[in-house]
Amino acid sequence: MIVADKLVKVFPGSNGLEKRAVDGLSFRVERGQIYGLLGPNGAGKTTTLRILSGLMMPTGGSATVAGFDVANHPQQVKRLLGFLTANTGLYQRLNPRELLIYFAQLHDMEWRVASKRADHLIEWLGIDGFANLPCGALSTGQKQRVSIARALVADPPILILDEPTLGLDVLSNRVILSFIRRERENGKTIILSTHNLDEAELLCDRIGLLHDGRLVAEGDLTSLQSLAGEQRLGNIFLRLVHADEPSVTGAVDL
Amino acid sequence: MTFPQRIQIIYRKELIEVLRDRRTLIAMIVVPIVLYPLLMVGSIQAVTFQAESLQRAKLVIGVTSESQEASLRSLVEYDAKELAQLESERPLGGESLFQLPESLMDWQVHRLDNQQALEEAIQQRQVHVGLLFEDEVLTNSVDRQNNVMIFADQEEARSAAASRRLTQMLERVGKSTARIRLESVGLSRVFVEPFLIRLTNLAAPPSILGQILPLVLVLMTITGAIYPAIDLTAGERERGTLESVMVCPVPIIDLIAGKFLVVTTIAILGAALNLASVSATIYFGGFGQVLGRSGGSIPIGKMLFVLGALIPFAVLMSAIMMAVCCFARTFKEAQNYVTPVILAVLIPGGLAALPATRLEGAMLVMPVGNMVLLAREVLVGAIVPVSTIAIVLLSTSLYAVAAVAVAANLFGQETVLFTDVGSPRAIFSRRWMKPKDYPTVPMSLLLVALLFPPWFFFQSSLTPRAGDDVSSLFHATAAAMPFFFVLIPLAVLHYAKVNLGNALSLKTTSARCWLAAILLGVSSWVPAHVITVTQQALLPLPTSVLEALAKFQTGIEALPPWLGLLYLALIPAICEESLFRGVLLGGLLTRTRALYAILAAAAIFGVFHFVAFRFPPTFALGIVLGYLCWRSGSIFPPMLAHFLHNGLSISEVYWPWHQHLGIPTTDQIDHLPGQILIVGAVVFFLGLVLCRSNSLKNEGSLQLPGQSAR
Repeated sequence: MIVADKLVKVFPGSNGLEKRAVDGLSFRVERGQIYGLLGPNGAGKTTTLRILSGLMMPTGGSATVAGFDVANHPQQVKRLLGFLTANTGLYQRLNPRELLIYFAQLHDMEWRVASKRADHLIEWLGIDGFANLPCGALSTGQKQRVSIARALVADPPILILDEPTLGLDVLSNRVILSFIRRERENGKTIILSTHNLDEAELLCDRIGLLHDGRLVAEGDLTSLQSLAGEQRLGNIFLRLVHADEPSVTGAVDL
Repeated sequence: MTFPQRIQIIYRKELIEVLRDRRTLIAMIVVPIVLYPLLMVGSIQAVTFQAESLQRAKLVIGVTSESQEASLRSLVEYDAKELAQLESERPLGGESLFQLPESLMDWQVHRLDNQQALEEAIQQRQVHVGLLFEDEVLTNSVDRQNNVMIFADQEEARSAAASRRLTQMLERVGKSTARIRLESVGLSRVFVEPFLIRLTNLAAPPSILGQILPLVLVLMTITGAIYPAIDLTAGERERGTLESVMVCPVPIIDLIAGKFLVVTTIAILGAALNLASVSATIYFGGFGQVLGRSGGSIPIGKMLFVLGALIPFAVLMSAIMMAVCCFARTFKEAQNYVTPVILAVLIPGGLAALPATRLEGAMLVMPVGNMVLLAREVLVGAIVPVSTIAIVLLSTSLYAVAAVAVAANLFGQETVLFTDVGSPRAIFSRRWMKPKDYPTVPMSLLLVALLFPPWFFFQSSLTPRAGDDVSSLFHATAAAMPFFFVLIPLAVLHYAKVNLGNALSLKTTSARCWLAAILLGVSSWVPAHVITVTQQALLPLPTSVLEALAKFQTGIEALPPWLGLLYLALIPAICEESLFRGVLLGGLLTRTRALYAILAAAAIFGVFHFVAFRFPPTFALGIVLGYLCWRSGSIFPPMLAHFLHNGLSISEVYWPWHQHLGIPTTDQIDHLPGQILIVGAVVFFLGLVLCRSNSLKNEGSLQLPGQSAR
C-alpha cells in the first residue's frame, strides 16, 4: 500500500549548511496495517510523513502510495489519505461544523453531501456539544477530536497520524486510541508517528525506529525484542542506536 | 470539481474567517467610518481656522517715534478712503473677477526707541512688522521721494502677511498720489502707465478633495489589505492550519487564488468604504467652500472612476503584501515586514501628492505615485488623455500580475509552508536553487515587470524635444537594448540556474518554419497597416503623435541605410525576441495554455512600446511572432520575421517601394489597394498555415514546455 524507497530530504539549515532530515529511508506498509514510526525529536518522522502525504518533494529516492508516486501524482495521493498533523491547527474563527463542511468540499463533495458527512462525524466523535462554538474556544482534547474528524472527512483508506496524542489528558488519549483501533478494524492502513512507546507497543503491527533520518531497525515488536535482546521498546531503541556504547538500562521515554 | 468552484469555496471560507477578525473589521470599517472623517474635519477646520485667524489677526506695526506713528496713521486713513471709494464703484455681480485689494484691517502701533529695538522686537515676535520713514515728516514734494523701510521676518507667517499688507497699502497710496499729481498737470495715469494689466485668475481655490483624497484612498487600500494578507499567510502558518489544508487534494494555485481574491476584496472594500465615508463627510459636514470648484457636491462619476482605477492597484498591493507576509513565521514578524513596505509606498505616494508633481514622464509608470496622481487629476477635474490613463493602468496591471505570480510561487515553497523547514531566505540563495530547463512563470513575469520602469525612464529621457537631434535617440536605444533585453535577463536566469539555451529557445527548426518566418515577415505589414487604418478611423492620431512620427522619419533618413536597418530592425529583432518570445513566452508556457501564454506575452510586448496608439499593431505582431515561436520551438524564426517586418518598414524611408506598389505614403494613412491587400493576405495566411503544419514533435527542434505533457 505504501512504499518508501531510499527516501532523502535535504533542507537549507539555519547555519547556511544543508541538513539531511531523511537519509536513505526505505520501508513498506501493507494494507490494513498500523505502522509505527518512532524516534526522538529531529529524527525525521514528520518530514517522512509530509513526503508520503505529498506535502513535500523528496530530494532523492521515491515513495508510492497505492501505486501513485508522491512526487509525480501528489493530488491523487492526497485523495487517498487523511492526515492528522502534529499540532491541532484549526481555523479559530470557524466552528467545527463549518470547518468539516469546508474540508469535505475541498475533497470534491457537494455541499449537501459534505453537510451530511460533517453531521455524521460530529455525532460519531462526540463533537455535538461544541459543534457550533468557534474552534478557538475549544479545549485541547476537543480540538483533537475535531482534527480527527477533519482527517476522516473524506473517509480515506489511509490515515497518517503525526503525534495524535501529543499534549492530551488521559481521557482524551483513550478516545484517540480507541478511534485508531476502530479504524484498523474498518480496514484502514495507518502510519502512526509517536513519542509514546506504550502506545506503539499496544497499537502497531510493525515498527520502524528512526534516528538522524535513518531507519535503525524495523519489524514487529517480537522481532525487535529478539534483535536487541530487550523487552521494552525504549531500551530496544537505545540499544540499537547506541550499539557501540556501554550498556544502557532502564526505561527510556523517547 | 472545477477550478472556479474550488476558488469559490476557498474564497467564501476565507472571507467569512477574515470578516470575523476584529482587526480586519477595525481597519476596514471602523477606521474609515470614524477616524478618517474626524481627521478630515479636524484638518480642514484647522486649516480654515489658521487662514482666517491670519487674515483677521490684529497687526502690530512697530515704529520708532511719535511723528512716524502720525505719518503711518495719515497714510492708513488715506488708504481707507480710497478703498471705500473702490468699494462703491465695484460693479454689481463682479465680485469674483474684481476683487478689492487687501486692506490693513485691524491694526495697532507699538512704539520702540530705535531701529535696533524695532528689529529685536520683530525677531522676538512682539511686533509683526516694522516701519521706518527716512524723514520724520512725509513730503508731498514732486522732487523728492519718501524713503520707507519695512522690517519683517519672512519665515514667520504672520510677519510675512503683515509686511505684504503694509507694502500693498503703501503702493496703493503711492499710485493714488501719482494719479492726483498727473491730473494736476493735465495728464492722465496712462501717461506713465501705458499698460493696464488685469490678471483674471481662473484657478479654483486649492481643492482639499483633490489633494488629500487620492493619498488617503491609496493608503486605505493598502491598510485594508494588510491584516487579511498577514492573517491568511503568516497567521495560518503560525496556527498550523496551512499544513492541514495543503494535504487536501487542492492545487496550491487554487488555494493562493482564493486567499488572494479575499485580500483584494477587502482592499477594494476598504477603498470603497473610505470613498463613501469621505463623500458623506463632505456632504453632511458642509465643507463645500473649502473643496474648490466642486463646491461641496459629490462627483459620483469621478469617484467611481477612481474606485475602478484602484482595482489593479488593490491587486498589486494585495499581492505584494501576501508575498512579503509569506516570509514571516508569525503574525508579529509579518507586521515587522509590512512596515518597510508601507514606508516604501509612502515615498512615491507622498511625492505624487506634492502640488507641483505632474502625471507625466517617469511618474506615469511609478508604482503608487502614478495612481495617486491619476486619482488627483480626475478628482480635480483635469482632462487626462486616454493614453495616459492606459499607461497608468497597464503598467500597474503588469506589476500586479508579476506580484501575483511571485506571491503564488513563494506560497508553494516548502520553506514558506512549514515553519520548521529552513529559512525562506534560502529561496533566493543560488546554492539552494534547483537547475531548471525553463524560467518559471513568476520569474519571467517579475523580470519584465522590473525591466519596465527603467526602460520607460530611459526611453522618456531620450524623447526628442524641439531642436533635438533625433539620431541620438537611435544610437542610445540601440546601445541600451541588448543590455536591458538580453544581458540583464541572462544574468538573472544564470543566477537562477536556468538552462539558457532552453530559456531563449536557441534551437534549430524545420525548413517550413524558416519559410513561414519569411512569408510572415514580408507580409505582416499588411495586417499591421489594416489595423492602423482601422484605428485611425475610430480614434484619429493626435497631431503631436503625427509630428513625432514625422520627426522620427527625418531622423531615420539622416542615418545611413545599413545603420538604420541595424538600429531599427536587426537589434530590436534579436533583443525583443530574446526577452518576449524567449524568456517571457518560454516561462509562461511552462504553466499556461499556449493561447493564453502567446496573448499575454504579446500584450506585454505591446505595453513595452509605451505609446497607446502603437499598442494594437504591436500586440498583433506579438501574437504572430509568439505563434511562430511556439510552433517552431525556436527563437530564430520569430527573430527573422521580426527583422523582415521592421526592415521593410525602415527600407521604405530609403527606397520608397510603397510608391512603386501604388500604396499611399505613411503620412496619409489610407486603405491599401485591393490587389496588394489580397496578395498580402494570401502570403500572410500561407505563412500561418505553414507554421501550423509544423509538427510540434518535430525532430531537431527541442520543444517548448507548452508542447509537452508537462
